[in-house]
Amino acid sequence: MPEPILTIKNLTKKYGENVIFQHLDLTVNEGDTIVIIGPSGTGKSTLLRCINLLTRPDEGQIWLDDMEITAKDCDEDQVRQHIGMVFQNFLLFNHLTALGNVKLGLSKVKKMSDEAATEKAMHELARVGLADRADHYPGQLSGGQQQRVGIARALAMDPRIMLFDEPTSALDPELIGEVLEVMRQLALDGMTMLVVTHEMGFAREVADRIVFMEKGYIVEEGSPDEMFNHPKFPRTREFLWKITELYGKKETDTN
Amino acid sequence: MDFGQFISYIASGTVYTVGVTLIALPSGLLIGTILALLYVYGGKAAARVMNLYSTVFRGIPPLVLLFILFFAVTRGINLSAFWAGSLSLGIVSSAYQMEIVRGALLSVSGDQLMAARAIGMSRLQSIRYVVLPQAVRLAIPPWSNEAAIVIKDSSLVYALGVPEILRRAQLIGASSQRYLLAYLSAAVIYFLLVFGTTRLLAVLEKKLTIPSNP
Amino acid sequence: MKKRFLLLVALVLVAAMLVGCTTETDSVLDKINQAGKVVVGTSADYPPYEYIDEAGNKTGFDIDLMTEIAKRMGVELEWVDMPFDSLVAAVDSGKLDMSISCFNYDEERDKTVDFSEAYYTTEDAFVVTSAFAGTITVPEDAANYKVGVQSGTVQDGWLTDNLVTPGLLPEASLSRYERVDQAALDLANGRIDVLMGDYVPIQALVAQNPDLQVVYHGELSTGPINIVLPDGDAALKAEVDRIIKELQAEGFIDQLAVKYFSE
Ligand SMILES: Nc1ncnc2c1ncn2[C@@H]1O[C@H](COP(=O)(O)OP(=O)(O)OP(=O)(O)O)[C@@H](O)[C@H]1O
Ligand SMILES: [Mg+2]
Repeated sequence: MPEPILTIKNLTKKYGENVIFQHLDLTVNEGDTIVIIGPSGTGKSTLLRCINLLTRPDEGQIWLDDMEITAKDCDEDQVRQHIGMVFQNFLLFNHLTALGNVKLGLSKVKKMSDEAATEKAMHELARVGLADRADHYPGQLSGGQQQRVGIARALAMDPRIMLFDEPTSALDPELIGEVLEVMRQLALDGMTMLVVTHEMGFAREVADRIVFMEKGYIVEEGSPDEMFNHPKFPRTREFLWKITELYGKKETDTN
Repeated sequence: MDFGQFISYIASGTVYTVGVTLIALPSGLLIGTILALLYVYGGKAAARVMNLYSTVFRGIPPLVLLFILFFAVTRGINLSAFWAGSLSLGIVSSAYQMEIVRGALLSVSGDQLMAARAIGMSRLQSIRYVVLPQAVRLAIPPWSNEAAIVIKDSSLVYALGVPEILRRAQLIGASSQRYLLAYLSAAVIYFLLVFGTTRLLAVLEKKLTIPSNP
Repeated sequence: MKKRFLLLVALVLVAAMLVGCTTETDSVLDKINQAGKVVVGTSADYPPYEYIDEAGNKTGFDIDLMTEIAKRMGVELEWVDMPFDSLVAAVDSGKLDMSISCFNYDEERDKTVDFSEAYYTTEDAFVVTSAFAGTITVPEDAANYKVGVQSGTVQDGWLTDNLVTPGLLPEASLSRYERVDQAALDLANGRIDVLMGDYVPIQALVAQNPDLQVVYHGELSTGPINIVLPDGDAALKAEVDRIIKELQAEGFIDQLAVKYFSE
C-alpha cells in the first residue's frame, strides 16, 4: 500500500479579488511522478509555490507526510528543507560555483562540516553528470548544465519530494534532453516528483499520473494511457492534441 | 619661499583630507548599509522612516549640516572641528550610500532570495549569504563615485578651520600672492587622491567580477 | 551683508533655541584664567593683518597685537585659523574666546557678539589696472564701472548701501568674491574694472603688482577695527579694553603699524 507523501485538501489561493484556484485536492504517493499540465495562467506555478510555502494559500490544508505544513505554528524554513524546488529559469546563485551552489544549503542549513558538505555536494553533482564542472560559475555553464546544477542543489538537501516548475521551457531544444534524462533517472531511483511540464514525451513515458488543470480547477487526472487514449472530457483531448501538435511543430522547426 | 616648501605646505593638509574621508566614508557605509537593509527588508513603516532620512539628509547641503553640528548642536560641548566635520560628512554620505546599497539589494533580491529560501535558508541567512555578496559587487561602481564625492567634500571642513588642503592653499596663496599656483596645486592633489581611489576600486571590482563566458 | 553669513547666523540662532541655551553667568575671562590660555580665532589670509610666513607660522599686525594682549593677560595664546565667515559664529557659539581679524564694527554682527574698543583706524581704497581709462575722483564715480569686492566685508556693505540700493550701480555690475585675491585676479584679467577694499592690504597688493594703482582712498565704510568678543561679557571686555588702551598709550600699536604697513 503506497503511503501519501503530500496531501492537499480544499486548497484556495487568491491574489486580491483574483481567484487563482479553488477547493483543490491532490494526493502524491511515495515514489510517484505526477505531471501537471494546463494552459498558461492556470495557477500551476502558484500551486507549487503554495506547496513549499513561498506563498501562503488562503484556505485549505497541505500535509507533508503526517505534518500539516499550513498550520500556523509550522516552521517554514524547516519545511522547505524537505521540499526540493527546481525553477524554470534555474535561479542559481550567480556568485557561487556549481559546487558552491550545491554546498550552501548543506553548510548553512544542515550545518555540515566543510569537508562533509563538499563530499555530499560532489556526489550530487556526479549524479547529474557535472562533477567535472564543479568549479564553474553559472555564467560559464550552458542552460542545460545550469538546470542540472539546480536539480543537484535541491537534491543535496535530501528532500522528501521534488517540485519542478517547467524545468526545460527556458532551454534551447538541443539542451532539453540532458535535463529530462536526469529527471527520468531520478524517477527510476524512486524519488517522489511533482512536475509541471509540457514535455509530453516525458509525461507519457515517466509519469505515474497526469493532472490536467484549467482555470483553477483540476479537470481530469489519470494514468498516461487513460489521459492520452481515453480522456473522459473533450477539453482534455483538445488540450493534449493541441500541445502535442505544437510541440511536434517545434521539433520540426528545429530540424 | 621655494617651490618645494610651497607645495609641501599645501600637501601636508592631505593628512586631514584623508582623515576626514577615512572617518566619513566607512561610517557612512556602515550606517548606510544597516539603513538600506531596514529599508528593503524592514517592512513598510521602516521603509517610510528610511525614506524620510534619505530625503532630509540628501536635501541638506553638507556645509549647512556642518555648521549646525559645530556651531549650534554642540554648543558648549568640546567637539573638535575635525570630528564635527567628519561626522557631518559621514551622515550626509550615509544617506547617499543607503540609496546605493538599497538599489543593489533590490536588483539582486527577488528571485535570488526566493531560490535561497527554497532550500530552507532563513531570511537572514538568505540575505547574508546570497543577496549581500552579489549586491556588494553591484554597489562598487556607484560607491566609487560616492568615495570621490566624499574626498572632494572633505574640503568643506576648511570652513571650520581644519587646516586641510584647500585652506592651506588659501593661506599660502594670500601670503605669497601666488593664488593660481596655490589652487592648481590643491587641484592636483585632490585629483591624485580621487584618481588613486577610483583606480583602486576599479581593480577591486575587476577582482570580484564573477567569471562568465560571453 | 553676506547672504551666506546671514543664513548661518539664522541657523545658529534657531538651533541654539532648539538645543536650549547654556547658562552663561560665568565670564569667559574666568574660563581663560582657569585654563591658563585664551583661544583666539583669525582668518590668516589677509596680509598684512594676518597671514602665514614662509615657515607656515601666523604673523601680521593683528597677530603681534594679540600675542602682546595675551602676554599682558598672563595666559598662553592658542590660535585657531578659520575662514573669515565662520569667525563670528565661532565666538558666538563659544568655540572661540575671541577673534581678531581686522573686524570693523557692524550692526548685524553686534547682535550676536560684542566689540572691543577700536585698536586702530583704517581707510578704504579703489584700485585699478594701468589699462583703466576712466576716472574716479569721488567714490560715487565707481558706479560707472564694473566693481569687485570681498563679499560680507564692510566695503561690500558700503557699495550695496550707497551705490546699489539707490540704483546708481546695477546689481549685475557688482561682483562679490569670497576673497580679495580672487577679485585681484579678475581685476588683472579685466573681468572687473575697479576693486574696492581695505586701504592697508590694498597697498600691499599694489606693492606686489606694479600694474595696479590706487585711484582713491579715504574713510568710507571702514574706520576703526576691533576685537570680536562674546556677547554681553562685561568682565572680558573690560580686561581687553584696558590692555588696548595701555598699548595705545605706550605707542606699541603705532610701532606695529610702522612695522607692517610701512607708514
Ligand atoms: N504575485 C502575484 N500577484 C498577483 N497575481 C499573481 C501573482 N503571481 C501569479 N499571479 C497570477 O496568478 C495567475 C496564475 O499564475 P501562475 O504563474 O500560477 O500560472 P501558470 O499556470 O504557472 O502559468 P504559466 O504556464 O504561464 O507558467 C496568473 O493570472 C498570474 O497573473
Ligand atoms: Mg508557471
